[in-house]
Amino acid sequence: MLRLVAGRIVSSIGTLLFVGFALFAMTRAGPGSPARIVLGADATAAQLAQFEQANGLDRPFLAQYGAWLSDILRGDFGRSFVTGRDVGTEIVNALPVTLSIVLFAFAIAVVFGVGIGIAAALRPGGVFDRVSRLLSVVGLSVPAFWLGIVLIRFVAVDLRWLPPGGYAPLSAGLGAHLQTILMPAVSLAVYYIAVLARMTQASLQDTLRGDYVRTARAMGLSSPRVVVYALINALPPVINLAALSFGYMFGWALIIEQVFNVPGLSRALLNAISQRDFLLLQGIVFLFTIIFVLANLTADLVNRVLDPRQRVAA
Amino acid sequence: MVNLPTDRRQFLAASAGGALAALLPSSLLHAQPNAGKTLTIVLPSNPITIDPINQLNHDAMVLGQTVFENLVEFDVDGVLKPQLAKALPTISADKKTYTFELRDDVTFHNGKKMTAEDVKYSFDYLLDANNKALRRPLFTKIAKVTVLDPLKVQVDLSEPYGQWLYFLTKYMGIFPAGSRKEHGDDYFKSKPVGIGTGFGMFEEWKPNDSISFKKNPNYWRKGLPAWDRLVVKMIPEDATRVAYLLTNQVDIISAPPAREFNRLKTMPGITGASRPTLGGALLMFTNNLKPPLDDLNFRKALSCAIDRKTIGDKVYYGLLDPAAVLAPPRGWWFNDEADKELGFDLDRAKEFLAKSKYPTGAEIDISIQAEPYLLDTKDAAIFLQAQLAKIGVKINLKVYEFSVLIQQIARGEHQMAMQVFMSPGEATYIIANTVMPGQFLSKSTGYDNPELSALMAASFLETEEAKLKDLYGKMQTIMARDAPIGVLGFVHASNLWRQGVQDFKVNQALTMSVGEVKV
Repeated sequence: MLRLVAGRIVSSIGTLLFVGFALFAMTRAGPGSPARIVLGADATAAQLAQFEQANGLDRPFLAQYGAWLSDILRGDFGRSFVTGRDVGTEIVNALPVTLSIVLFAFAIAVVFGVGIGIAAALRPGGVFDRVSRLLSVVGLSVPAFWLGIVLIRFVAVDLRWLPPGGYAPLSAGLGAHLQTILMPAVSLAVYYIAVLARMTQASLQDTLRGDYVRTARAMGLSSPRVVVYALINALPPVINLAALSFGYMFGWALIIEQVFNVPGLSRALLNAISQRDFLLLQGIVFLFTIIFVLANLTADLVNRVLDPRQRVAA
Repeated sequence: MVNLPTDRRQFLAASAGGALAALLPSSLLHAQPNAGKTLTIVLPSNPITIDPINQLNHDAMVLGQTVFENLVEFDVDGVLKPQLAKALPTISADKKTYTFELRDDVTFHNGKKMTAEDVKYSFDYLLDANNKALRRPLFTKIAKVTVLDPLKVQVDLSEPYGQWLYFLTKYMGIFPAGSRKEHGDDYFKSKPVGIGTGFGMFEEWKPNDSISFKKNPNYWRKGLPAWDRLVVKMIPEDATRVAYLLTNQVDIISAPPAREFNRLKTMPGITGASRPTLGGALLMFTNNLKPPLDDLNFRKALSCAIDRKTIGDKVYYGLLDPAAVLAPPRGWWFNDEADKELGFDLDRAKEFLAKSKYPTGAEIDISIQAEPYLLDTKDAAIFLQAQLAKIGVKINLKVYEFSVLIQQIARGEHQMAMQVFMSPGEATYIIANTVMPGQFLSKSTGYDNPELSALMAASFLETEEAKLKDLYGKMQTIMARDAPIGVLGFVHASNLWRQGVQDFKVNQALTMSVGEVKV
């Protein structure tokens, strides 16, 4: 098991290094210079050149990459040359905001998605099966940003139940915190509820049709116990999908935070893209990559615990 | 009698519902309205700096104008008024020396009294090339600032240039002597505490969220501001910005969506107004050095084929005043005759095209901005496509981000480009930057006309409105004759606010003016 974990960690570091290089190359290859954004349309060529020199943007690509990588390895994300603020601090300030929304959305997606999927699988053609089908159609076809705008329109503007946007940290009180993250999290979760429900339902139904389940029932095992055994075997693909979903949620949060005016990482990322704030952009995308890699690593490890065949294969 | 759940399922459902309801705080059921004497306003974009000498975003100038002030102010109506000076300056006969008497009741936020030394220091800092102030090029005709006595300061220009006074409000501010060296530029950029004289004192910057100020209790205009705290929120999404206003979370929003503006301003509890800016022009940068735009008749054909009134009324819902020359129709220097020369007339457009090197039409690439700024230029560009097709000109739309587009225009790499260009609202700024040689956007048109340059130089010598009107009128006549740049009109500044807000006036210069607003 230790060898397995070590192997996965090494391959994850390789992935991170590759993504870091590709990210650096892509940000530098794109058109538009941060100098023009910071100095504006009226800036002269001399002012632009001064800015690029002062921020090391005139150095060769590999020299810039080497400096950035060595800073990152020392935990220094650098200082934004657009805002002048420390990128590490900016990420640390914004991460809890995005994390609270994504975690809440993930919890909603897992609880409702897996719950509806199990209920639908146990009674094909029943109420939950129909709900699952309806949710799949709605969840997969309704864009999250549109749902967000609809929620703002009806829940915030018409009913005045929740504020239309913004973010209150947990330190402001659980109530205020929930007020601000409920609509963004629901908007973010609906798609994944549908996906997880369908996957859970399909996987569990498939497992319940297995010979060993029939044998277990014939041996007189209680129905709940049979379902639990079947569920353990049905879960690995669901866990893989959930891990991927967790990573993807950070990407979708980009739009959701914009719609709900949430000052999180995704909002900072969007600003970094439009302002060509390379260091902030690289820092945030690199962090998203780490989260994605960690989520997949966790899913792999959990699956190996649940599924003895995978341990044997490893 | 209350029916209690009788079976297990009903009981579990009721229990879960009850538990959930108990967890929800009562505040969850009612969004909190904006209360007290906090004025909350909203910007549509994320500011980069508060420092006025490095500011480039006109919406974000409200930040600098809250903290810093100037000798004179170019106010919301486009009128020049004294601010930190007691009166408008006395100007010498050769129009090169300006003398200002300063108010004696002004203190900085740190309690220090403002004197002529501070004024001199501020200008000296701005003008020192080593300090790399972004707005320095606007003031380089200032040769020297001299302290005559603690409350009197003299500004000497290297040549007559009356326009510099109009640029102060947007691009300059007075700060204490020695403060730049003491605090550094980042301090002015993101936490300017104690260094301004304005009605608001910097409090906190929450990145990507809001910037707040508290009332300056020692403000020299007694009784102002009427609020205790000013919060400037950043909400880029149009629908969310409007939702914040409709739910009373904020008091005033800028840049309301043009399509929704007329409907929103009549909603209960909401007030809205717009007014034409004197310096916000929707321009078509026609590259005079690239075919087919190198042909005068072709350029005039384009101009005459555009129905600007329909664009203003139908595409931008009345938020664009149609104009064919580089002067706002509501400005005192607008030349109606020159405007008619390039105005909509399809028959004339066809005549000009027939006389051009391209009598059967041509194909042009037009570069437009991806992110809307004030108006979405994509809307006008699509309309233009249909309009110019009537005279046989095919338009290909090319969409770029602002940073890419502006570089393309500045280098003259475009064929034609459309963009909203915002200026302080005096007559020469846009002309000087787009159709005169040696400026940052000179290559946007590639036009160079000594006759126009001479008239511009003559206008710098004048301060009387009647004489200036004559000179500006002649400049517009020349530009109508040569059509070096396409003009579609001048944009409106518009705002929406809650009915509880009093004494708010839309600023012709776009930037929200909040010093006199009551909540």
